[in-house]
Amino acid sequence: MPEPPATGAYMVAGYVVTGVIVVSYAISLWWRAKKEKR
Amino acid sequence: MATVGDAERLIRRGLALSALGLAGLSAVYVLALRFTPVERWQGLAQKVFYLHAPAAWSALLAFSLVGVASAVYLWIRDPRLDRFAESSAEVGIAFSCVMLTTGPIWARPIWGTWWQWEPRLTLSLLLFFLFLGYRALRTTLGDPAERARYSAVVGIMALVLVPFIHLSVYLFRTIHPQPIVLKPSAPSLPSEMLRTLLFSFGVFTVLYLGFVTTRYGLALRRELSGGDDA
Repeated sequence: MPEPPATGAYMVAGYVVTGVIVVSYAISLWWRAKKEKR
Repeated sequence: MATVGDAERLIRRGLALSALGLAGLSAVYVLALRFTPVERWQGLAQKVFYLHAPAAWSALLAFSLVGVASAVYLWIRDPRLDRFAESSAEVGIAFSCVMLTTGPIWARPIWGTWWQWEPRLTLSLLLFFLFLGYRALRTTLGDPAERARYSAVVGIMALVLVPFIHLSVYLFRTIHPQPIVLKPSAPSLPSEMLRTLLFSFGVFTVLYLGFVTTRYGLALRRELSGGDDA
């Protein structure tokens, strides 16, 4: 049975990019909620 | 009549739901990276699919609901629908960013290229640009009633694209994979992979609900405090 191809770097890139986008958007909402309240 | 207290309550609930969604997202990472088998032909890059497909689902859900809310707004002129459409469009753009970046990251090792001008990718990119235009339109129009009316028309036009994006893999010759879960027959995926994918779909739906509730609360609070929210 063939070994799976070595594509781990692309997986890491995909997971990092998703985390950065989703967490950044969540922080931007939290920041707007906090800033505009003042 | 909504009050600032209602807006604050919505923001608090939305942020709590978003936090739950973020905790769920970290569980998706653990489940996908640690407890889901590696696909034999694609290797580890296939695991990007557990984020890409649910992000695409949330983006299309968000944009579809903008279209539906816009159509109903033009009928009954309820400002809550316009506020919801505005919020859902912004959240949809955020999920589209995930969809449009993770897609090419997966495609590079599997297709040998970052991008193909094939129907599903091209229509998804077009939809993303349409909603950037939607946002730009909202910021340029000063009168709230005029802004709601014009942007509702754009929202409805964008809705027309959504079924084409979903059905494009059947309608056109394309290299994009066929649907694995949202298709007429049973899902074609080993059970461990299907479990991770379905869990991720649930998490991205919770994230959508959390983000859109918070964004709606922010828009309501700004309106009630005399500011203008585009």
